[in-house]
Amino acid sequence: MIDVFASAGFTQVALTQRYDCFDGTSKESTARRYRVQGVNLSAVRAGS
Amino acid sequence: MAVMCPVDFDKARLRAEVQTMYARVATAPDGTFHFHRGPAYAATRLGYDHNELAALPLEVTSSFAGVANPHAIGAIPAGAVVVDVGCGAGTDLLLAARRVGPTGRAIGVDMTEAMRKRAIEGAARCGLTNVEVRAGDATRLPLDDRSVDVVISNGVLNLVPDKERAVAEIARVLKPGGRAQIGDIVIGEVLSDDSLRDIDLWTG
Repeated sequence: MIDVFASAGFTQVALTQRYDCFDGTSKESTARRYRVQGVNLSAVRAGS
Repeated sequence: MAVMCPVDFDKARLRAEVQTMYARVATAPDGTFHFHRGPAYAATRLGYDHNELAALPLEVTSSFAGVANPHAIGAIPAGAVVVDVGCGAGTDLLLAARRVGPTGRAIGVDMTEAMRKRAIEGAARCGLTNVEVRAGDATRLPLDDRSVDVVISNGVLNLVPDKERAVAEIARVLKPGGRAQIGDIVIGEVLSDDSLRDIDLWTG
């Protein structure tokens, strides 16, 4: 996801927080197996 | 890691499945789903402010199905024009509307009519006159170029097969120096081809 935003011309692209959003759901084991997490992504549109 | 849609993936079917799934989240949020919903989940697992959520209509917050918390990234300034891509029933949208205040605007975009209806009704019940909800999807935002200060989104880009196009749309509508504050899902392991073609894994 960082690469997609950077390729689109964004700067200061960063993941700022992570969340185990599938814990306690029926997909918890699948999420853990594939290391699926919710994340916050921050990015700034380049240009002036 | 960005997961790209296989070339032969049935994108039209995915779009229909997503609309069906999230119409159900809008109309029957207490049903059985493979993801969490509701204000208790948002507060306890994602760090939303309990009191801010409690001030919103339950018809809005009960259908919240985000995966992260775009508001935790940074403060949305008063007077800003903010767009929520895939606003759903409006939890993040209405929180943003409160932050931008009467001199700002909060515009929600969603492709599911039942979700848009909840967001519109929720804004009215909160007396928020700076909220607008438009039909559209992430790859064709109904917004002018360089017209937005902040784009937020929560648990939507992972549902879009063409992520480059969706992100290009976010770039198009943002003013230079504008911010994207995006909640989404990342996958730490390489998925098998079978998993990539499993439409059930794309709709949640």
